Amino acid sequence: MKAFRRGLLVAGIAILVGGVIKLRGKGGVPPMSGGWRELEAPDFR
Amino acid sequence: MATVLLVGTGAVGVRAARQLLDTPLVDRLVLADRRGRRARSMADSSGPRVEAVRLSAADPIPPGVDVVAAAVPPGLDSAYAKRAIDAGVPFASASDDADAINELGRLHGSARAAGVVLAAGCGLAPGLSDVLAQHAAGALDRVDEVHVSRSGAAGAACVSSVRRARREEPREWHEGVWRPVRRRGPELSWFPDPVGARDCELVSSGTDLLVEAFPHASRLTVRFSEPPMRRRWSVPGRQTLDEEWGAARVEVWGVRGQAREPIVYGVIERTAVAAGTVLAVAAATLAGLMPSAGVRTEAGGGTHGLGVLVEPTPFLAELARRGVKAAVFEGVAVA
Repeated sequence: MKAFRRGLLVAGIAILVGGVIKLRGKGGVPPMSGGWRELEAPDFR
Repeated sequence: MATVLLVGTGAVGVRAARQLLDTPLVDRLVLADRRGRRARSMADSSGPRVEAVRLSAADPIPPGVDVVAAAVPPGLDSAYAKRAIDAGVPFASASDDADAINELGRLHGSARAAGVVLAAGCGLAPGLSDVLAQHAAGALDRVDEVHVSRSGAAGAACVSSVRRARREEPREWHEGVWRPVRRRGPELSWFPDPVGARDCELVSSGTDLLVEAFPHASRLTVRFSEPPMRRRWSVPGRQTLDEEWGAARVEVWGVRGQAREPIVYGVIERTAVAAGTVLAVAAATLAGLMPSAGVRTEAGGGTHGLGVLVEPTPFLAELARRGVKAAVFEGVAVA
C-alpha cells in the first residue's frame, strides 16, 4: 500500500512538472510593454 | 482588360474568385476544377463575367487567358505551371507545401527560358509574410535575420500539409548554408489578438523563398503552429476549418545606422480569406492589372517568391484596401 501511494505521488509530481514545462515552452517571453498598431496606407510605416 | 484562369474552387479558390471579381480590370474570370461541378455552380451565381470549365492538369490552358492563379492541392501546381509555361502566361500558386514549392522551383529554368514568371507561395505565409519581410528590410540598412511564424490553415489539404511540415525534419538557413535542425519542441510566437500566443514548430516550408529574397541574411527560419482540429460533431457537409483565424508574424533583425534592431510585423485574418486575397492580388499584379503595383523588373522570368517579385508598399496598400491589414509591433520586441 505504501509503495502504491509513493507511486501515485511520483506520478502526480511528474504530471505537474511535465505540465509546467509544456505550458512554459522554451521561448517567447511575453512582451512587457507595447502593442500592435495597424499599418496605414499610404506610407505603411 | 484581362482574362484570369483560376484553378481550384476550395477554401482559398472561392475567396480568390471574389477578390478577382472585385478587380476592375478583370473582365473575364474562368473558373476551373477537375470535375467542373463546383466551378459551374459558382459561375451560375456570379454573373456574366464568370464562366466554368472542366480542366485537368494535362489539359492546355484555354485560349485568351492572361494569367493563371492556382489554389490546388499539393502535387498539382507544377502540372498546371507547365501548361502555363507552354501557353506563355504567368502563373501564381497559393500552395504552402514545401514539396509543391520545390517542384515549382525545378521549373525555374524552363520558365526563365520562356520568359514566364511563376510566383510560388502566394498565401499568408509564405506569401504575405515575404512581402512584409521585404517591407521591413526597406527600413533597415542591412538584414541579419528573418523569422516567420504562422498560425492557421485554409482547407483540409492545407491542414494536412501543415501537419506533414511539422513532422518532417526541419532546416534553417544559417550563415549562408542549409543546416538540419534537431527538434527541441515548439517555441511560443506572439501574434496579434485574438490569436495571441501559439506554440510553433520549425518547418522547411517557405524557407527557400526567404533565402531567395535575403541571400545574405545570417539566419532565416519559418515556424508553423498546430493546425485546427476538425470538429468531431460538426454538421455533415458544412465546412468549418476555413473559418478559423489565421495569423502571421514576421520578425526582421538588422542594422539601421549604428544600432541593431528588430522590426516586427503581424497580420490576422481568416486564413482562407488572407490566402485568397494574396493570390488574387498577386495574379492581378503579374497580369499588369494593378496600376500602382507592379512586378519588379529585375526578377525576370522563372520561379520566384513574392518577396522578390513585388514592390512591397503598393502590394500591402492594395491588400489593406481589400481588408487584409498588417500591424507593426511597437514596444519591447521578443528576441
